[in-house]
Amino acid sequence: MTTPGTTSITPIVTERRHGTHPPTPESADRLKSGNREADYILGGGFPANSINIVMGHPGSGKTIFAEQLIFDNAGDDRPILYFTTLSEPLAKVVRYLQGFQFFDEAKLGNQVIFEDVGAELAKDGPDALVPLLRRAITTLAPKIIVIDSFKAVHDLAASVADRRRMVYEMTALLSAYGTTAFLLGEYTEEDILVYPEFAVADGIVEMSRRRLGNRDERYFRVYKLRGSRYLEGAHAFRITDAGLDIYPRLVSPQIPEGYEPASERISTGVTGLDAMLDGGVWRGTTTLLAGPSGAGKTTIGLQFALEGARQGEPSLYMNFQENPSQLMRTIRNLGADPDEAQAQGLDLVYASPVELQIDSIIVDMFRRIRQGRVRRLVIDALGDLASAATDPQRLHDYLYALVQHFAVSGITSILNFETIGNTIAGNGMQNAMSYLSDNVLLLTVDGEERTRRALRVLKTRGSAHDTRVREVEISAAGLAVLA
Amino acid sequence: MGQNDNGKARILIAERDRSVRELQGVFLTNAGFAVEFADDGQVALDRVRQEPPALLITEILIPKIDGLTLCRLVRNDAALEGMPVIVFSILAAGGRANDAGAAAFLRKPLVESTFLAAINGVMMTMPTGTASAATAVGR
Repeated sequence: MTTPGTTSITPIVTERRHGTHPPTPESADRLKSGNREADYILGGGFPANSINIVMGHPGSGKTIFAEQLIFDNAGDDRPILYFTTLSEPLAKVVRYLQGFQFFDEAKLGNQVIFEDVGAELAKDGPDALVPLLRRAITTLAPKIIVIDSFKAVHDLAASVADRRRMVYEMTALLSAYGTTAFLLGEYTEEDILVYPEFAVADGIVEMSRRRLGNRDERYFRVYKLRGSRYLEGAHAFRITDAGLDIYPRLVSPQIPEGYEPASERISTGVTGLDAMLDGGVWRGTTTLLAGPSGAGKTTIGLQFALEGARQGEPSLYMNFQENPSQLMRTIRNLGADPDEAQAQGLDLVYASPVELQIDSIIVDMFRRIRQGRVRRLVIDALGDLASAATDPQRLHDYLYALVQHFAVSGITSILNFETIGNTIAGNGMQNAMSYLSDNVLLLTVDGEERTRRALRVLKTRGSAHDTRVREVEISAAGLAVLA
Repeated sequence: MGQNDNGKARILIAERDRSVRELQGVFLTNAGFAVEFADDGQVALDRVRQEPPALLITEILIPKIDGLTLCRLVRNDAALEGMPVIVFSILAAGGRANDAGAAAFLRKPLVESTFLAAINGVMMTMPTGTASAATAVGR
């Protein structure tokens, strides 16, 4: 296997001696982006010795992405060349670069070489670029070349013919030499059809930013990656001191060959509810627990998670309303010791949906599931998760994928959903979730002088459930279905 | 055989890609070789028979006579017995280059260090009588 940025060499003399012909696995040659999540999305990284475009509006994170990539790839072999052109002066680029954790001053000037070619381009126009590249290749032998911004060079051309000629000559040169090139530019989606560099590019990634009220959402998207599979769609990211923090979009899992749903029932931990469900819920199923405020959803969710901890099943409780202290108090009110429950495997998580994107919440949840080998999970509540999602379709896709992941992994889950009134009908997301969930429970609250709570099982899969409306009571011992 | 008038080892390259030729020319000249190019396989074969170089480097995808056929013709010519051929191609054809009798196969794109290392490696294995190449290799 060759390493990225090297010419593949097969010594035939040796082959003869050993009688073998090592293959040249081009598909295995990848240049890591310096960002693990980006590499996951890119199917392992950018193809080595390729030409790639990193596009996005000013401030979208292109330069940071490229800088993280070059510092991660910098080593003692061949240097990396970063051309700044007419978009941003070199001094400005380097000044802000120093604030990032990946910046390493020791690599500057030898392993990472920044060169401002703006003056040459301003004087001689875009025709100056190819000779500059040729000079760099023959004197520095760079393994990576970044041109920031390439669109600024392109826009110097006087005619379409000049642009095409410049792009053709640059492509021919970069293709002849073993280097991976990144052309950064403030391109828009419409430019993809117009600018010739998009036709010759092996990879195209986009950084975009969307304003939502008082916060911004940023997305990373792969448009094209020749000869490689990649994770399609928009992947949220944040810019941090460490560079880009990317949250790969959750997709439905591959159903393993021979996968069979679990055939074991588990207890909900709610007195009387297991009997209503024909002996508990099937392991790996998802239960939608709907009801108005004060009906007892959080109580049931906590009982379910606490029961899991008692049974030695790591349980994760994701909540978006009560902070950890409030939740501890609620657990104590149920007669349980929160410290003991946590020692037994209960993981209580509070996330503010106001500040977070759904992507980051989901990524954090899956990280906890993996690390804690979680078997039970409660999301309290779906409505809060929905407020963290800006796109209803995206939310639906996420929830569908979540349910599938839980089923394949044997994670039994309860998803709480707050209704307006005692009905489940009329809410688009709720209807969708009813369809996706294995079980649907509806809690209701009535009464004027005395609050009367009731529970009804609307749906189960594979169970002869109790079809009656059953009164429930919340006491110091928790919620119980009355006989 | 294989030297120019200045005593430099002469390398003939059958290659049509202008950018590749340009870079090969720079790298090999800087390394102390004399470089000559041929646009197609027929021109390369004629030139090799007329004045054998120290080394022939050929792309497979060249007009008239492809690089592998060119390699076989050279290998079957007793007069060119000591002249090695390196196949340098965009194609992943190490096995076929081996079968054609190439001394080494290099996959594009071009990287100066591995390109020169391959050339030097092949020239080092040449018979002592072709020491002209070794002069340049020592650079």
